Amino acid sequence: MSDFLEFDTLSLHAGQTVDKEFGARAAPIYQTTSYVFPDTDTASSIFNLERGGHAYSRITNPTVGVLEQRIAALEGGSAAVCTASGMAATFVAITAILGQGDHIVASSQMYGGNISLMKNTLPRFGITATFVDPKDIDGFKNAIQDNTRLIYGELIGNPGLDILDLEAIASIGDKHHIPFMVDATFNTPYLCRCFDHGVNITIHSVTKWMGGHGTAIGGVVVDGGNFDWGRTDKYPTITEDYAPFQGINLWEEFGPSAFATRIRAEAMRDIGPSMAPMNAFLLLQGIETLSLRMEKHRTNTEKMLEYLSNHDRVSWVSHPSLPSHSSHELAKKYLPKGAGSIVSFGVKGGREAGKAFIENVELASHLANVGDAKTLIIHPATTTHSRIDADALVAAGITEDMIRLSVGLEDVKDLQADFETGFRAAKKVAGD
Amino acid sequence: MGFRTRQIHAGVTPDPTTGSILTPIYQSTTFVQPSVDEYMSKGFTYSRSGNPTVKALEAKLADLENGIDCACFGTGMGATTAVMLAFLENGSHAVVSDVAYGGTYRLATKVMTRFGIEFTFANAADPDAVAAAVRDNTAMIFTETPANPTLKCADIAAISEIAKKAGAVHVVDNTLLTPYYQQALDLGADVSVHSTTKYMDGHNVTVGGAAISKSQEHADAIRFIQNSTGSIMSPQVAWLTLQGCKTMSIRMDQQSANAMAIAEFLEAHPKVEQVSYPGLKSHPQHDIVKKQATGFGAMVWFEVKGGLTAGKKLMDSIELWTLAENLGSVESLVTHPVTMTHADVEEAERQRVGIIDGLVRLSVGLEDAEDLIEALEKALDAA
Repeated sequence: MSDFLEFDTLSLHAGQTVDKEFGARAAPIYQTTSYVFPDTDTASSIFNLERGGHAYSRITNPTVGVLEQRIAALEGGSAAVCTASGMAATFVAITAILGQGDHIVASSQMYGGNISLMKNTLPRFGITATFVDPKDIDGFKNAIQDNTRLIYGELIGNPGLDILDLEAIASIGDKHHIPFMVDATFNTPYLCRCFDHGVNITIHSVTKWMGGHGTAIGGVVVDGGNFDWGRTDKYPTITEDYAPFQGINLWEEFGPSAFATRIRAEAMRDIGPSMAPMNAFLLLQGIETLSLRMEKHRTNTEKMLEYLSNHDRVSWVSHPSLPSHSSHELAKKYLPKGAGSIVSFGVKGGREAGKAFIENVELASHLANVGDAKTLIIHPATTTHSRIDADALVAAGITEDMIRLSVGLEDVKDLQADFETGFRAAKKVAGD
Repeated sequence: MGFRTRQIHAGVTPDPTTGSILTPIYQSTTFVQPSVDEYMSKGFTYSRSGNPTVKALEAKLADLENGIDCACFGTGMGATTAVMLAFLENGSHAVVSDVAYGGTYRLATKVMTRFGIEFTFANAADPDAVAAAVRDNTAMIFTETPANPTLKCADIAAISEIAKKAGAVHVVDNTLLTPYYQQALDLGADVSVHSTTKYMDGHNVTVGGAAISKSQEHADAIRFIQNSTGSIMSPQVAWLTLQGCKTMSIRMDQQSANAMAIAEFLEAHPKVEQVSYPGLKSHPQHDIVKKQATGFGAMVWFEVKGGLTAGKKLMDSIELWTLAENLGSVESLVTHPVTMTHADVEEAERQRVGIIDGLVRLSVGLEDAEDLIEALEKALDAA
């Protein structure tokens, strides 16, 4: 496939060679735990990472492998590792290079699960984090400590939708020899290839737009292959000999995919958050239509933004494509094909009116997910961000009247008719 | 090799590309051909005509029943339909055992008759009655043994002789005993059909069917219908059934032991009017089953004293046993055939063949026999 490099082609073909045995056009679902070795020498060389091959589906699986190669190709990365969920991807990516005593500088506007991981869970293992307003570039600079080993953020912040200035932050990372890891779930490689802007590692919850149909949970870590791990001695898990694999030196042996290999060799072996082959198959189906869906998400989002902006029951609308949004210029720079299909807005009448709106729409599903083909709505203050305290809520840019809308692929006329029902109910509660 | 070895290994070889110990799920519609001249060289073109995962199950089932080939279908009724379409045509006649699954009866009387095919329902427990039903244009004898739900049994070898003389194909629905207990083809049948939904899957996961042939001629005729009418099994279903087959023998042994214990309990219970289980000496065809099968299966039926009213009360109140259609699974089920599985059999025909109104059908599962009996005892006390 190396001759064909355009996005739509890659989304259909990358990573898949036609099944050798029968010529099956779709990737076979290798629903198997283990693989029979032809002989003991082959077995031991697979175990020692001397050659590629499959031993046990916790570590690698041929169906999951197709998805990994496809996503790596779409991102323009050197390698990818799929995981059982997006949170597992974030966890294995961070712990592949950070350990006790290390420090993360992270955006304060992130998915609640990411914030909780860095604020509550990682500190129990001696990894601490400083959270910085994503708009405050100097804040990132000033938060760097001697022990900082990672800069982390979401390109499109959740739920405030602030856009990270990737190149500015990447240059801070480069200066201090710190890798820059971005959760690219909300943009997908279709809207932005983060590695083109200096990002070193991306994370996706492929549950969202990549899969696109709400059928399978999954995550991926993509190695940008563009970080010089050996420049300092800050990253011993990559650059020092790895005892469990007979002292192999990942940086010397695998170079641009050394980071992904560390995850494969350590996390997939010892921690085991592996993606199921069936999920990989379903997610591959989703990726085949990624660009078609992202285009429709974009046009539907534009129409919904116009509708909401002109609605008398809406107090405010936030989306990076709107000139009123503080990240509008950054959105134009990094997301010229669209700034995602997440919109937040306030319903006039505050918390109770917002609640009435959510309870009275029918077509838009009230649930804790984004990026489905179906339109989804949620009240972040009481759901996705309920486990973080009041101060952090404000820092995360969440207000009590906020409704987060994930615009789906329905006919916009039906969505708007549905919202009218919600707004009528909200108006009754607001009583104005 | 023995049955237990074959139920695990037959039909499945490690994937040559990756070594995957299990056959991959080829969820693919089509297969890329190396060149025009090499069309079909890898064996597959389009998944209606054949699929590698389905093929693995077909190879396993053919091996388990000593057949030359097996064709799998979307349902057990798909398999039965295919054998009827393969061997019957306008103007031909078939003899069907007078007790068969209600779906088979419905297919024959309501669907196949529309194409000018005639059926006689004969008492298959009596070979003379079957022989008497044979006509010049009889092209098939279809025997279900044990029959669902009455558990009437037929002598497969004797009926195969009759079919042979008549030049008719003998098809046996071997769903209730499976090849593990009853080798229908070795006993003389030409084709065996199965609802793989039952003991082959065993976990209430899939619906599927299979038709296993002894001769290439019959296999080709069934394959032609499979491809022409398209009632195929999906790769996912085949893969799940491949896994189910691996424990078929141990499940059946335990479920049958449970069934025997339950049948004996019911036979001794004062509130039970009658009980039927091929493993009981009181079963009218007990000797035939002993002769031709190595086990008695896990289906039991009984009638509560007080008939339909008492039976309904028992089925509505019993705990642990689930009121549901299907049979053969690890979960024990209780079914009322008159209102459920055999509702489409006319009342007069039901009465004639012994599907009495108060018949309570049990599909004995894999739970502890003590728990199943305790639940039955409680429900009988209340009935």
